[in-house]
Amino acid sequence: MRLRRETPHTLAGAYALDALSEPDRRRFKVHLAECDVCRLEAASLREAAARLAAPVAEAPPADLRERLLATAATTRQQPPAIADAAAGLGRRASRLVAPRMAVAIAGGCMLVALVLGGMFLSSQHRLSQALTRSREVAAVLNAPDAKILTAQAFTTGSATVVMSHRDRALVLTTAMLPALPAGHHYQVWLMGRDRPQSAGMLPDPHRGLTAPVVVTGVRPGDMVGVTVEPGNGTAAPTATPVLMLVLPA
Amino acid sequence: MTEGQPGEPGQAGQRPPARPGSDLAGLLALVARGDQNAFAAVYDRSAAQVFGLVRRVIRDPAQSEEVTQEVMLEVWRSASRFDPHRGSAMAWLLTLAHRRAVDRIRSGQAAAEREVRAAAATGPGYDMVAEEVETRLDAQRVRRCLESLTDLQRESLTLAFYGGYTYREVAGLLGVATGTVKTRMRDGLIRLRDCLGAGQ
Repeated sequence: MRLRRETPHTLAGAYALDALSEPDRRRFKVHLAECDVCRLEAASLREAAARLAAPVAEAPPADLRERLLATAATTRQQPPAIADAAAGLGRRASRLVAPRMAVAIAGGCMLVALVLGGMFLSSQHRLSQALTRSREVAAVLNAPDAKILTAQAFTTGSATVVMSHRDRALVLTTAMLPALPAGHHYQVWLMGRDRPQSAGMLPDPHRGLTAPVVVTGVRPGDMVGVTVEPGNGTAAPTATPVLMLVLPA
Repeated sequence: MTEGQPGEPGQAGQRPPARPGSDLAGLLALVARGDQNAFAAVYDRSAAQVFGLVRRVIRDPAQSEEVTQEVMLEVWRSASRFDPHRGSAMAWLLTLAHRRAVDRIRSGQAAAEREVRAAAATGPGYDMVAEEVETRLDAQRVRRCLESLTDLQRESLTLAFYGGYTYREVAGLLGVATGTVKTRMRDGLIRLRDCLGAGQ
């Protein structure tokens, strides 16, 4: 088979359907490990694929239940694995936060990785901030009408947005935007209305990726713009956007 | 019927509550702690979908039963590995089931049945009786959403999922380029996901 240079992510559907050969599957998993948004999409496609089981549901032979329960009663269980994301926090910390984390981070491990990735979590306080943020992110990502959009920056790099009209909110992450001179930051704007409205600053990138930013109060037809602004941001954009993304109505 | 554990007399005959998905996650947490009643409840809620799916992929009833048992034992053994942050409990379970079923038919011993599978794998059956009203309603919703896909999207999805074919094999069966099938699988699942999400 000829190998072509292509976006591995187009395999997300085939992956979710278990329709990859073993070598393809391994390659795709490497890709997933490197791409948080892709992992998110792959998980959502797996959920969709799993729903295909409902139309073919069929009662198993009646005696299977009893045999199975009898076998289980004498079968050893595996001990729990420590979650990848929590592992970095150390055993004690992860035990402390585990129940809350379970509620908070419904969106998946990629969120934990993204949110916690760039931070050194030295205190419970900072951890709880991160969890609050990830809760918001998870809410948007799990909204039933969540949609994923991507846009290339006019410079280099790209942005990925997951938006929910129902929640009037979106989650924005960027990849590989150009590094900025000291004292400058990327600022996010909601545009397409009377005047642009600041939606906050992008956090400093970690390995080229910025942690997710939640933007609320989004209206259909809004545009998301990103500009380079001095200091901690300005009240109105002072520069041409490096990135624009039109949200679906 | 199995014997109830002491202290849980009222649980056995009750119908599941209205939201089986979230509930299944709770049950899995109990299973992870060795709760055999919870495991029986997980089985009751998921066995029809697991067995139906495995049977659809493998075809052979005896092998399907065997694989279903393997899947369920795997659920018992590794319930602690289920991570509710990564997705729903039912999807976790069905992913285990689907992978095992697919592994089984790709292992070669069922290779002779491939022609049969090609004929049989084109769509969900309409004659299966699901125990739970829940599942039946879900089945209707899924069928409706499947019908909203393009023919090529639907065929790509069903051949892969019900037939256990790789996307390259699906491309061969449908006589279209592998790139096209890849794209249709992704587009089709996205559309299915959005359709199912919107219908809830």
